[in-house]
Amino acid sequence: MSFTRKKKTVVSVLIHVFFIVFLFLYNLPTISMVGTALKGKQEAMSSTALIPLRPNFSAFSAVLRTNFIGNVLNSIIVSVTVCVFCIFLACLAGYAISRFRGKVFSAYSVLMLLLQMFPMMLMLIPLFLIYKALNLYNSPWSVIISYTCTNLPFSIWMLKGFFDSISFEIEEAAMIDGCSQMQTLRRIILPISMPGIATVGIFTFLNSWNEYTLASIFLRDQNIQTLTVGLQKFVMQNSNSWGEMMSAATIATIPTLIFLLFAQKYLISGLTAGSVKG
Amino acid sequence: MPTKENGNARLKSRQSLGYFLLIPSTLLIIFISFVPLIYGVFLSFTNRHFLKPDQRDFIGLENYRNLFQDKEFFGVLSFSFQYTLTVVAVSFLVGFVLALLLNRDMKFRGIYRTLVLIPWVIPPVVAMTNFLWVLNDQIGIINTTLRALELIDKPILFIANPKITRLTVMMIGAWKNTPFMMVTILAGLQSIPNDMYEAAHIDGAGFWRSLWHLTLPMIKTVAFISTTLMFIWTFNNFENIWLLTRGGPNDATFTLPILSYYTAFYRSHVSYAAAIATTMMIVMLILSLVYLRLQFGPGERLEKKLRHGKPKQTAAPAP
Repeated sequence: MSFTRKKKTVVSVLIHVFFIVFLFLYNLPTISMVGTALKGKQEAMSSTALIPLRPNFSAFSAVLRTNFIGNVLNSIIVSVTVCVFCIFLACLAGYAISRFRGKVFSAYSVLMLLLQMFPMMLMLIPLFLIYKALNLYNSPWSVIISYTCTNLPFSIWMLKGFFDSISFEIEEAAMIDGCSQMQTLRRIILPISMPGIATVGIFTFLNSWNEYTLASIFLRDQNIQTLTVGLQKFVMQNSNSWGEMMSAATIATIPTLIFLLFAQKYLISGLTAGSVKG
Repeated sequence: MPTKENGNARLKSRQSLGYFLLIPSTLLIIFISFVPLIYGVFLSFTNRHFLKPDQRDFIGLENYRNLFQDKEFFGVLSFSFQYTLTVVAVSFLVGFVLALLLNRDMKFRGIYRTLVLIPWVIPPVVAMTNFLWVLNDQIGIINTTLRALELIDKPILFIANPKITRLTVMMIGAWKNTPFMMVTILAGLQSIPNDMYEAAHIDGAGFWRSLWHLTLPMIKTVAFISTTLMFIWTFNNFENIWLLTRGGPNDATFTLPILSYYTAFYRSHVSYAAAIATTMMIVMLILSLVYLRLQFGPGERLEKKLRHGKPKQTAAPAP
């Protein structure tokens, strides 16, 4: 008995050791990014330490003086707008395919699945020409519209799943009390579906915040470029000031890590959406 | 009590409300997904070129004819599949091992899971810039550490030697996708009731036997669906390689999306680029049909399994 218990302790210690070593190596690029950013402008290249003993914020203040901050603001504006549009459209469509029966509605939900596999490359070239013709090229609306559309299939699918889990009886009770169907949606269904809406919001925000390809083609002027394009330009222009580059990269990463720390529940439910329903 | 006719009328007005609710997203999807899609396929039958603006003729299948005689295209196609298969296989294996380890009751489990998720949430631009930094041949931490430990005498050219770079981009692709695999497989594992393991234990099955006869069959559906999705996303992914190598060195890391992008925006041959993208879509369409058929189609066995508490999977596209 004591032998198996000993064996169990050894195994669990080994697992912890494995995780510590693995996670250190796995996140080495991220650790090194923060470490280099904190080394300051001068020391970033000379010191070989992973993380400096005395953090120096000179590289951060150098980045704050460039127009990178403008790019960060653009990203916030674009991501929040996309979030709002996407949640609004997905609530309507998700509710429709969850509550109404008929060929159109079931075909629509299959279409949502197929659209998630849509190759972005095939969209990029024609959209580039279409936006040019519509005078939307080089305008923030080009990426806002594109991101809303690319995030919509997942969002609709996600919210449909949430609405499916709400029993129809609650709604019927509200309707007997004199609510119209739209009122029931607004007053009863949406408040209950807050976790689903949060998940959609977080995914849409993260996807828009992180997107590079469309933004790099559609946004030409520096004052409307989003942070991923700004960061990439920064990397190209300052190819030897790693301190500043890593500080800019750290600034771009902060919001995503905040979501990971404080909204992980929603992130995971989005990743495994539908896996709880059999 | 509403009469029957009354009820029917109400049902009809309700149906029309349903269609009405679908209008805004349908319009957006039509104009931003379907119109570009059809326009893209149409472009592939023309000779549009950014540098020759008055060249707008319909040339039928000529772009495709050229494409299928293009050595570069087949080289890139082959690397695309190598890249995608390696990324899916490695991220699945690592994700599976991590999920198995995280499925046990232990201290710090939540913290470990959070830390595994970091590569998946950070922006690709950031991740690839960080890799350029740690893999730098002169001052990157990996090369300096290996040299300090005297394991190597010359720096490893992670992003300059074509052969090594191919391996580097595959490993980085797997690095980025492992968290997704871990999370979906973990969700699958958590749906297996604990008493099944107890029963297997009582019947004398050891760790490996219950892994083979219980765990693997139970997560088959989840594993199948998440690897299919991962395959499609990786095949279509542009940013991860482009931001690291721009397809280089010596075009060694060109994949189909990169070839299409490069042809359109660097060689300005937009119709040829559209033909590449259309071919990509056809390849993916065939794979999606297989996927849908297996998920919804006549495979009743699978359907039954799904109903018996087996997780059905759809997932968020990686940011």
